[in-house]
Amino acid sequence: MLVNAYSKKVFNLAYHFSGSAQEAEDMTQEIFLKLFGSLQKYDFTRNFTAWLLTLSKHYLIDEYRRTKWERTQRDEFNDRVIAQNAFSGPERSAVREENKKLVWESLDRLSPEIRMTVILRDIQGRTYEEIAESLGLPVGTIKSRVNRGRLQLARVLKGRQGEWA
Amino acid sequence: MSDAHAEELLSAYLEGELDESRAAEVGRHLASCPNCRLLVESMKDAREALGALPEVEPSPALLQRLYAIPEKKRFRLVPDFLLRPSLQPLFAGATVLLVFISFLAFSSGGRTFKKSINRQLHVGYSKAEKLYAKAGSLTDEMGSYKETILGTLKNVKLLKKRGEEKIKTHGG
Repeated sequence: MLVNAYSKKVFNLAYHFSGSAQEAEDMTQEIFLKLFGSLQKYDFTRNFTAWLLTLSKHYLIDEYRRTKWERTQRDEFNDRVIAQNAFSGPERSAVREENKKLVWESLDRLSPEIRMTVILRDIQGRTYEEIAESLGLPVGTIKSRVNRGRLQLARVLKGRQGEWA
Repeated sequence: MSDAHAEELLSAYLEGELDESRAAEVGRHLASCPNCRLLVESMKDAREALGALPEVEPSPALLQRLYAIPEKKRFRLVPDFLLRPSLQPLFAGATVLLVFISFLAFSSGGRTFKKSINRQLHVGYSKAEKLYAKAGSLTDEMGSYKETILGTLKNVKLLKKRGEEKIKTHGG
């Protein structure tokens, strides 16, 4: 069943992209509405996950552009992410936790297109080729976007390290 | 190698995608540039932090909403393409136009408004007609002035000629 197989993937993409669990739930529901509405248009020769990713990406970026003036801040990092992670392994160092918090908060500084590619590459661990197929862009463009996104995030961390030094 | 050029290659350098000579070139730049060295360390940290963000489970309430979608879709009265956000301004414009038309057609205020617009149009039209007639009479008047002036000029010329002839005969 589609919901069982893909709800977690879509929800996490929406959550990392928007930064708000509430918004991510609404967005996931809208994406699934679109998915069920356009299943008859699905070309069975295509990779289904890539097709769903394309549909999700279009919706998330359009929605972000449409509502960016009404949007709230990203969820507090501690509220949800750390709470989930508390059961996933041994305690990490304070610096690593601080880096995670900074990176989570700084994702909003990236443009929607760059944020989407960084999430797909560095959070979801997809290959450049998979991302390029899903987003319908050349691999070189994806690599360049990922590099730009990482540089922006690295500068945030570097700035913080400068403050500590 | 400039800092900007090195920055463009940092991801590929970290992921081992550069060929040997290019990787060595970036390595040499990093060895000599503390700023880029710090940046590449921060990029490593950023990647590690992104990779460590955990997957979150969707809530049971969301799952219930998702399971219910196929049934809802079956009874959906409005086709999806009509719900596209890009059509919203069009619908809003059409609604305003319809409200305006129904106001003109059905309300007593609308009828009064329509009458006053008709009256204003008629008044404007008659003013324009009057102006046109005035302009016509002004053109005629100008024409008669022109003829008078031309006649006067001819008379002046004749008088001048006669005067010259008289001077010649008396002088001779």
